[in-house]
Amino acid sequence: MKSRTRIPTTPLLMILPSFLLAMSIIGYPILDLAWTSMQEVSRFGKMMGFVGLVNFAEVFRDPLFYSSLVRTVIWTVAVVGGTLIISLPIAIMLNDDFYGRGLARVIVMLPWAISLTMTAVLWRWSLNGRAGLINATLMDFHIITEPIEWLATAPLAFTVEILVGILVSIPFTTTIFLGGLSSLPQDSYEAAVVDGAKPWELFRYITLPLMKPFINIAIVLNVIYVFNSLPIIWVMTEGGPANGTDILVTYLYKLAFRFGQLGKASAISLIMFSVLFVFTIAYVLMVMRQEHDSADEEVKHDA
Amino acid sequence: MTPKLKKSLLYWLLLSPLCVVILLPFGIMFVTALRPRDELFVYPPTWTFSEFRWENFAEMWVKTNFGGALLNSLYVSLTSTIIAIVLSIPAAYALSRYRFSGKGLYRNFLLMTQMMSPIVLVLGLFRLMVHLNLVNSLNSLVVTYVAFNMAFTIWMLQSYFNTIPRELEEASWIDGATSFTSLVKIFLPLAVPAMVVTAIFTFINSWNEFVLALTLIRSQNDYTLPVQIFSQVAGRYQVEWHHVMAATVLATVPVAIVFSWLQRYLIRGMALGAVK
Repeated sequence: MKSRTRIPTTPLLMILPSFLLAMSIIGYPILDLAWTSMQEVSRFGKMMGFVGLVNFAEVFRDPLFYSSLVRTVIWTVAVVGGTLIISLPIAIMLNDDFYGRGLARVIVMLPWAISLTMTAVLWRWSLNGRAGLINATLMDFHIITEPIEWLATAPLAFTVEILVGILVSIPFTTTIFLGGLSSLPQDSYEAAVVDGAKPWELFRYITLPLMKPFINIAIVLNVIYVFNSLPIIWVMTEGGPANGTDILVTYLYKLAFRFGQLGKASAISLIMFSVLFVFTIAYVLMVMRQEHDSADEEVKHDA
Repeated sequence: MTPKLKKSLLYWLLLSPLCVVILLPFGIMFVTALRPRDELFVYPPTWTFSEFRWENFAEMWVKTNFGGALLNSLYVSLTSTIIAIVLSIPAAYALSRYRFSGKGLYRNFLLMTQMMSPIVLVLGLFRLMVHLNLVNSLNSLVVTYVAFNMAFTIWMLQSYFNTIPRELEEASWIDGATSFTSLVKIFLPLAVPAMVVTAIFTFINSWNEFVLALTLIRSQNDYTLPVQIFSQVAGRYQVEWHHVMAATVLATVPVAIVFSWLQRYLIRGMALGAVK
């Protein structure tokens, strides 16, 4: 190889293996799903011929699809909203200096260390209607008199699953906020305190506006993760009772691997992929804008 | 009372509901794992029990084939971590040290693959593994975990590589070293801590993964730990909860300790560029 061409190809060769692997493991299945979604597929995965958009039409006629879709929206909005509202004050506290902060950080981050599957198994047992110790604890404190069947009825089970969803999303979100808080300029706080600003005013007029980019990123990333999250609902109720806690991912999983409706399942995968794609583009644009901003700042500093 | 003490008390008061909710299931996990079988379903349910039955762990180990699942999980997590790191080092180095056309595109491509969740692609992945004849092989998990973790590993490594001063390598070039020897002798030793931290997080990700393991592995002997424990709970009329909880203790506690010890590195890595 001539030395003239060596310089630009070296970095390309360095990124090539990772690129090829990602393309074949992540890129190829997308194409395969697009292809399958327009085929009639037998229960055993055999392609029976091209049918165009029939599978999509079938999905859009399916009442279970709509109920799962509505529940997905509720699930995503409730979990992401709840997580943000709880995480911001927690991050502000954890960013401040107080006795036992190290321990508090470890406890708040703990759910992140445990797989969602294990967390869901733990909660499924803790909430057991007959012998669960959540009931025991609530009865000990005389909050309830009878054990509650937490997971036996869909609305209650779904509410509990949302709360568990919030719990496991807090560590990641708090981490993003901690990163943001540590980068806030201290001098604007000092100036505001000199001017006699109250703590609430500091939060409302300095912290919140400066944290906005981090809040946006936390929203988009959490929407992506929560929208796609299977383990909590799958392990705690498997979408039941009577499909009452199904969201799109659990419904998709049932169609594909229990009922063998591969064409329909591919169509739903593709619909979900498009939603995901829109949010991903939003995220990439945000990251690019932020990098652009910080590059601008560097130029300003240099000048 | 000093202001700091007052503030600490207030903060702990505000944090305590969350701490209780986080720690409660772990408490329940321990007291269930240790109680005798016939004290699982008593009415009214109670926290107390008659004796600590450490034998539960030994029984569970045999009955649930815990050892086999543990080996499967270790194999999958270790192999996929090593491959992911080996493939990510050159890519992260290229992103950190070279200017080349397509760099921005590649970074955005990485961000997008990081957002792709296995569940949306699971049917396509299953069909791909059928074509490759890898269904029911632990290697199907290795390949997919590497692919899904790579955006994270490259991103983390790159953000740490950026903090290693370029001058060190440049000095060794002036001394006549080729770029390859300076990479191996100067750069990589400095990057070892970053690689270890990134590797541990990749390991934990693979260790905890559920959806792909549930889908791509069909025979009980090849189950990884999360799927093995799930299979002890799902679709059973009678669940041996004391065994399930004993298994959960063994599967989560070591990982949780390592994670808690290393979490500040994750926060630092993210602050350096994984999120920003």
